[in-house]
Amino acid sequence: MSNREPRASGYFRSSYDQGLRLVETRTQWTSLILFLAVLGIFPFVASSFQLDLANQVFLACIGSVALMLLTGYAGQVSLGHAGLIAAGAFTAGILFKEFGAKFWVTIPAAAVIGALIGLIFGLPSLRLRGLYLAVSTLALHFVVVYLGGEYETKRGFSTGIVIDVPRIGDFVLRDRKIWYFVLFAFAAAALLISLNLLRSRTGRAWAAIRSHETIAEALGIGVPAQKLLAFVISSSMTAVAGALFGYYRGFVSVEAFSLFLSIQYVAMIIIGGMGSILGAILGAVFVTLLPYAIEYAVGLLPNARSYAGMLAAFNYAAFGIVMILFLVFEPQGLVGVWRRVQNYFLLWPFKQKPLGGGRK
Amino acid sequence: MAELEVEKLRLRFGGLTVLDSVSFAVEKAELFALIGPNGAGKTSVLNCISGLYPGEGAIRFRGTSISGMSAHQVARLGIARTFQHGELFPHMTVAENLLTGRHARIRTNPLKEMFFTRTVWREEVAHREAVEKIIDFVELERYRNAPVANLPFGIQKIVGFARALAMEPAILLLDEPSAGLNRDEREDLARFILRIKHELGIAMIWIEHDMQMVADLSDRLHVLEYGRSVAEGSPDTVLKDPRVISAYLGTAAI
Repeated sequence: MSNREPRASGYFRSSYDQGLRLVETRTQWTSLILFLAVLGIFPFVASSFQLDLANQVFLACIGSVALMLLTGYAGQVSLGHAGLIAAGAFTAGILFKEFGAKFWVTIPAAAVIGALIGLIFGLPSLRLRGLYLAVSTLALHFVVVYLGGEYETKRGFSTGIVIDVPRIGDFVLRDRKIWYFVLFAFAAAALLISLNLLRSRTGRAWAAIRSHETIAEALGIGVPAQKLLAFVISSSMTAVAGALFGYYRGFVSVEAFSLFLSIQYVAMIIIGGMGSILGAILGAVFVTLLPYAIEYAVGLLPNARSYAGMLAAFNYAAFGIVMILFLVFEPQGLVGVWRRVQNYFLLWPFKQKPLGGGRK
Repeated sequence: MAELEVEKLRLRFGGLTVLDSVSFAVEKAELFALIGPNGAGKTSVLNCISGLYPGEGAIRFRGTSISGMSAHQVARLGIARTFQHGELFPHMTVAENLLTGRHARIRTNPLKEMFFTRTVWREEVAHREAVEKIIDFVELERYRNAPVANLPFGIQKIVGFARALAMEPAILLLDEPSAGLNRDEREDLARFILRIKHELGIAMIWIEHDMQMVADLSDRLHVLEYGRSVAEGSPDTVLKDPRVISAYLGTAAI
């Protein structure tokens, strides 16, 4: 969705190409390069713990961007996201254990498996909507986790599947620093793919389906095919994130993929802001870091030791409270806050935006 | 050959007969008005043509039957429509709404779109240009990048009209395009409708309640009452037809 008017003053488009660019103005280029520079320097100054957090955020970003495509843009609710992550992780784990498959085989395999699962579990969306669809996607979660659990017990990996450190040629992915760049690359690719889809025909068809299915149909959009496409692409991306997660942890086990994980992903896109890719990223950062922030905050309290046992409970409670606060006070999520701040500075010294049709 | 033929169209919901044996044919570049009191079944006729309702009977587009086709297939053949309340995509800008209308004409595939290849780039630019022509046609230049949710209702209706036009249809189904518009906006609309007819040669089926507009603009009109055809012909004769007057105003009790 990049057909909006540019924000920078003194910048005027003179061709339709310019409206299609992801980065248009010099300010945008400068900010992007600065941002990338910061991301590039980060692993060399961060502690190992901070690096782990960053890596978790990258993984969460892929998953939440994928879910945002499906739910925030195409309007199809899914509660099976943890199941898809599990499917990806198990694909990598099983292929490695059974066939000794390499990294560059298992990752595409996870994408294919994810796409297949997406196709199958997207089928109910042709009939069901909203809550009913959400419940049907729950089935996906339980089926995948059940199959994964069966595999673990039948093959005697009852505690989980251990995956060796992956290597691409002579390149060994052991160090967290190296993982940082690998995961960043995958997250950036997921982001680019999503942005590209959204600024072209498919993205508009999805947005149309989200607002009015019948109208979309009457405009010549094949609604069933587009819905399935949304499921396939989103699931495929999520399964890749799952496979990466398995490699990064070096360990795959069903316990990691509880229903709570699905809810966390839904929380990411709600807290971040529905219908915005930036929102998906902000939400992923927020939800991933929240438990660590709480832990840190509790550690600052006097007698921190005595609360240590209650930390998990604290986390759940805080998570719930944050969700409620966002739904009530900022339904547009973090992206809404971000836009408000941006508008404040852009419009200063004025307060209100001119009504539709007016120039900014 | 007529552009669109509707023959003995019949629509029932359970025991309720909404349309009963409605027949008409529309020629190229003809402005064909469909009028009748509230609940006469005018919108149902459009819904049957555009494949949203399953009607019985025959509907033919340039001689080939389109009954039983799904709505998006009908739209791809070149039958576009507008909706009574605009029904735009509120999160999109005016230009994006129109681009969505061109969905079936854009030749790309999702795989190419993921990498935004040259083809995708070229298609997007070409279709953005086509959209700009429509924007120009309906004089929406000022609003092209405005999100439609913030626009006044009158403008939204014109955007809905433009979105249907962006499909480059052979037949345009207009469902009360003038409802909710003020006098100025109606005059603009009348101008656009006449330009479509004369410059683009598109056939139009036009549901309208403003009898003055119908009398002034339409080539032929067809009157429905309780799902049945009451009269058809040129505005001068039909609007004087006693059956039509009684359908609209009721007959004198005496």
